[in-house]
Amino acid sequence: MQDISPATLLVLVPLLPLVGAVLTLLLGRVLGGRAHLPAIAGIAGAAAVAVVLLLGTANQVGGAHGPHAEPVRPVEMISTIWQWATVADAYSPPAGSPAAIPGTAVGGGAGGTARAFTIPVALRLDPLTATMLTIITCIGLVVAVYSIGYMHHDPGYPRFFAVFSLFVFSMSMLVSASNFLVVYVFWEAVGACSYLLIGFWFTKPEAARAAKKAFLVNRIGDFGLAIATFLLWMTYGTLDFHDTLSPDGTILPGILGQTRLADAAGIVGGALGTAICLCLLLAACGKSAQLPLHVWLPDAMEGPTPASALIHAATMVTAGIYLVARCAPLFMACPGALVAVSLVGATTALVAGLIATVQNDLKRVLAYSTISQLGYMFASLGTGTLLGFSAAIFHLVTHAFFKALLFLGAGSVMHSMGNVIDMRRFGGLRRIMPVTAATFLVGSLALAGIAPFSGFFSKDEILASLHAKGWPNAHGEHHDAAPSAHASLWNAGFVATPAAARGAAAEAVHVLEPLDRPATWQALFWMSLFTAGLTAFYTFRAVFMTFTGPTRVPEEAGHHAHESPPVMAGPLVILAVPAAVAGWWLFRTQWLAHFLSATPSFAAPAVAATATPHAFHMDLALQGSLAAAIGVVIAAIGHLGRRSDGPQMERFLGPLEPFFANRCYIDQLYSALVVRPLEGLALLAALFDRAVIDGLVNAVARLPVALGGVVRRLQSGLLQRYALAGVMGVLAIVLVLAWRLRG
Amino acid sequence: MNGLSPGMHLVLVLATPLVGAVVAWLLGARGRDAVRQSAAVTALLTLAAAGWLVVRYLASPEAAAGEPYAVVTLPWLVDGIFDVRLSLGLDGLSIWLFGLSALLSLTAVLVSWGAIQERPVGFYVLLLVLEAAMLGVFAARDVILFYVFFEFTLVPLFFLIGIWGHDERRKAAVTFFIYTLSGSVLTFLGLLTIVLWNASHTGTVTFDIDGLTAGLAAHPLPMNAQGGWLQWIVFVALFAGFAIKVPIVPFHTWLPLAHVEAPTGGSVDLAGILLKLGIYGFLRFSLPMLPDASAAAAPWIFGLGVAGIVYGALVALVQTDLKRLVAYSSVSHMGYCVMGLFALEPVAVEGATLQLVNHGLSSAGLFALVGMIYERFHTRNIASLGGVASRAPWLAALFMLFTFSSIGLPGLNGFVGEFMILAGSFQRAWSGVSEACRPAYLTLALLAVAGVVLGAWYMLWAVERVLFGPSREPPTGGSAHAHHEADEHGHHGAAGGATDDLAWHELAALVPLAVFVFWIGLVPATFLEPAAGPLRGIMQPSARAFAERMLEPDRGPAPGKIVAIP
Repeated sequence: MQDISPATLLVLVPLLPLVGAVLTLLLGRVLGGRAHLPAIAGIAGAAAVAVVLLLGTANQVGGAHGPHAEPVRPVEMISTIWQWATVADAYSPPAGSPAAIPGTAVGGGAGGTARAFTIPVALRLDPLTATMLTIITCIGLVVAVYSIGYMHHDPGYPRFFAVFSLFVFSMSMLVSASNFLVVYVFWEAVGACSYLLIGFWFTKPEAARAAKKAFLVNRIGDFGLAIATFLLWMTYGTLDFHDTLSPDGTILPGILGQTRLADAAGIVGGALGTAICLCLLLAACGKSAQLPLHVWLPDAMEGPTPASALIHAATMVTAGIYLVARCAPLFMACPGALVAVSLVGATTALVAGLIATVQNDLKRVLAYSTISQLGYMFASLGTGTLLGFSAAIFHLVTHAFFKALLFLGAGSVMHSMGNVIDMRRFGGLRRIMPVTAATFLVGSLALAGIAPFSGFFSKDEILASLHAKGWPNAHGEHHDAAPSAHASLWNAGFVATPAAARGAAAEAVHVLEPLDRPATWQALFWMSLFTAGLTAFYTFRAVFMTFTGPTRVPEEAGHHAHESPPVMAGPLVILAVPAAVAGWWLFRTQWLAHFLSATPSFAAPAVAATATPHAFHMDLALQGSLAAAIGVVIAAIGHLGRRSDGPQMERFLGPLEPFFANRCYIDQLYSALVVRPLEGLALLAALFDRAVIDGLVNAVARLPVALGGVVRRLQSGLLQRYALAGVMGVLAIVLVLAWRLRG
Repeated sequence: MNGLSPGMHLVLVLATPLVGAVVAWLLGARGRDAVRQSAAVTALLTLAAAGWLVVRYLASPEAAAGEPYAVVTLPWLVDGIFDVRLSLGLDGLSIWLFGLSALLSLTAVLVSWGAIQERPVGFYVLLLVLEAAMLGVFAARDVILFYVFFEFTLVPLFFLIGIWGHDERRKAAVTFFIYTLSGSVLTFLGLLTIVLWNASHTGTVTFDIDGLTAGLAAHPLPMNAQGGWLQWIVFVALFAGFAIKVPIVPFHTWLPLAHVEAPTGGSVDLAGILLKLGIYGFLRFSLPMLPDASAAAAPWIFGLGVAGIVYGALVALVQTDLKRLVAYSSVSHMGYCVMGLFALEPVAVEGATLQLVNHGLSSAGLFALVGMIYERFHTRNIASLGGVASRAPWLAALFMLFTFSSIGLPGLNGFVGEFMILAGSFQRAWSGVSEACRPAYLTLALLAVAGVVLGAWYMLWAVERVLFGPSREPPTGGSAHAHHEADEHGHHGAAGGATDDLAWHELAALVPLAVFVFWIGLVPATFLEPAAGPLRGIMQPSARAFAERMLEPDRGPAPGKIVAIP
């Protein structure tokens, strides 16, 4: 492969799955039961290339074992594929254009030029992208292989693999795009793939409804991303992440380019910066199912389980994490926005954890658990420290392994139980499906954060990052230089923001910024610790209900209750290995943290300055483990070895149980506050259209009738007469006008 | 054939459908098959010739220079003060709409293949005459030809709706005719005033659009009380005709009625091409010739555009008739074009111009598909439909494609126009208006972005109800035909689905549109670049006037730029 440039390899990662998708679509009918071949070949090729790129990038970053204090050089490579669109500049000449008022240089470009709208489809390669690409393609490959067994005999077999492959393409493009507009494009494209897969069994009304709901809720998030994109364009005059060289040899700094990041004043803070970051956060909340936009993810479980595993657990839903991590330097300039990220994350983690405890549908337990774990990652991102950012990505990686494993395990159960997924209807399955049970247990140990499984280490780092913010002195760190540096920017950004936007954004700043103090972070830490206990509880509740107790199978399963075939069990075993040991290895070597720190966004001085020496905090590890242990013990008391159709959570939660069982009534709240009022407004508009506007038009049309006999002769109903009258009237007016003009 | 001059080539393209109309009429005696086949061949030939002309244009030096191409001028009355010439030609602004007209005419013929059983001769003759008129209006370079073709699109469509329409076809046809005619009579007045004003100042009576634009730039119509606010009056007169054509809310009520009653082929041409004439008129006449009035009216029309986006989407949300829903979606989508045009920012204007083509493709595709659904299930009532995807998977797949195009899914064409319109409008709101107007502009821009969410809502709701869910037989009641078909096919549902799926002529009608849906979405530069030059010339006077108006009271605040990287 030495002859192939990294740029070519980078293009191959999305390209191969795309080719696979197109071939599957075209040849689906012909291939029939072998329709998975092009898709799997494409994804496998992409996975191989992604690993090569990961190793190559790691090579460039160098010395994983060097002293951590040594500053890491940012590593990135940009490859532009084609120019999507170019619109040069403003119509009004600089003299009349407000954008060219002296003393205002737009977006760091030369003074006097407006914001050029130049959108290159450019791909980038850096440690963060390489990590994401590897996760997406490798887990995609494992899940695709599993799907051969799971989707077997489905009439939509080729369609499944075509969309699946298309998703891998879109997701790869999303994480390697180097331009906000291109990110937006694939942000929606993955959403469309998700829509098609949730609604895969479209004859089921619930599936069709869930697909629509997912798309619409995501569109609300996309609204945030669109506004953020516009604001970024207004602010920086470009949408590129990277620096570009203009034809005359000057550097046009990209938003997340190294030129801008190296400059302390390069990133806008204050009200404008906060507004941008909050819009990005809204987008992230939509895609990553955070409060209050999480409502689509549980319903998305209507889709085939492999799609749930890859899209709604391991990869697509982490796009929000990726976006915030990628934009880390933007958030670093806005302490208020960072607090908001953590608040949303920790709150979501807690609420989703509570709801997960009362779910009886195995897939929904996992869905809420996904929401909750994504909340952890957001909480960690919001700390605004290098530790927090890398801990979030670390958890993203381990979570991708163990959550994909758990979903595939649930799919295996579902497959064998005749599509029944209500845990109350089966039990003791470890005797029927030992491989599934064992691998599910490994995934659960990882999810619950039991040492030494992978979730333990990543969760520990997240808790450590929150702890460091809550008790700064305990960590002997003081990196509070940032606020003073922001002071001037705050004013600059504030003044330049249009008054209308200024009000709301300034409000947000005033509310959020005072929250950035240790007491808040301490509260977030305790919330997260409590959620760790909850996680262990609901996870093991599910394990005990499904795999222990007397063996029972629902009648739907018939006599077919059996372990899944090797093509499904194999992927479970393959995923169980990293779910068990990846966390330990990555934690011990700090390979990932070191690698990621060379990402331009993390190597920016503002982020890099927050680096702390790597340390293992025994007290934190003990607290986390204790919480997890308590959770497991309570679950064991409630469910170990018992029939799963016995009494449920009402024993613990009492009157609160219905509240959580109804998902905190958030769906009902949406219906009452958003859907119904809008539908009412729509009805009103339709009524107005018919009664008022059309009525007025008809009234105007009847005016001649009212004039009666004068024009009766024209009311002959003959089209020609109307036309003739029109022309004659025109001529009359023309004559009058002409006469006036001459005179 | 290189010897064929571009001008002759253009005349040939315009003549082909007329010749075809005569041929179809002569073949009338031989029955429906002969007529529809000859119409299809004519439309295909026209499309080939028009497509070839587009390709020649793109390769020509005129395209690179942004100049008119294939100009043909016929002196009519050149004597003394009279300099009246009939002139045809194409430029970067009209070239895609010209090509789209040829493309959609073929679609219109093919979607009528099975639907038109009665009086096929008249139908296809009118369809071909309509094609010639649509091609002509985009090729016209003088006011006379423009107006003749502009009005001539009206007559064939009036008869298409009135004769081959559905139950309320007479009412729809008359409403459509009276409504648009009364608007265009005012437009005619306005255009004549422009011609006379120009004549009285330059001493030459010319109808040439370029000549008038230059003349009015040198001697603008007065915008003050002394001059009788003549520029305002003329602007309002032109606006009346163009706004009804677009249609801009609240002048839209003829549209749902006309669409619902029109035969599918008529709807395809109406939504795909005729609605574009309004925006095209603004671009050719109002904006370049009346820059001061355009600039003064811009904020209000911008607001009407946004109102149309939200209003159209809301009304679409509660429609029970699928075709009516798509009609209201047109109102909403044309609102984006209006908004983008009157944002007077390059990004938005180029987006709006591209959106004309985009909407032409997606709405024509959707109307064609609604017609195909109606032919199969004999209802357009959303509540009676369901599970179409199991019975006609390819129909459903294409319906989803055009839906995605319509709701602006990235990678497809609709996104490009929509995003550019919104980005340009946002730019205008952020740093192109006075401090006093900014809150209103920002609110409108945000509302328009929110309209994107509403747009997805009603379209996906319709998709969910019509395509998804269990396959069902709509309660057709009196329609014996449906039962007859069901018996004929024997079985329904997923297994027997293919029997309801697209026929060859339906695929042939839709696949070309789908190709362009992807092409524009992935490589919009191909389609944006030719228009950029002409648009710059057209928009500059209004944009400059707007900037002057906005900055008059005070030189305006510092715009939203903050960062200066040394």
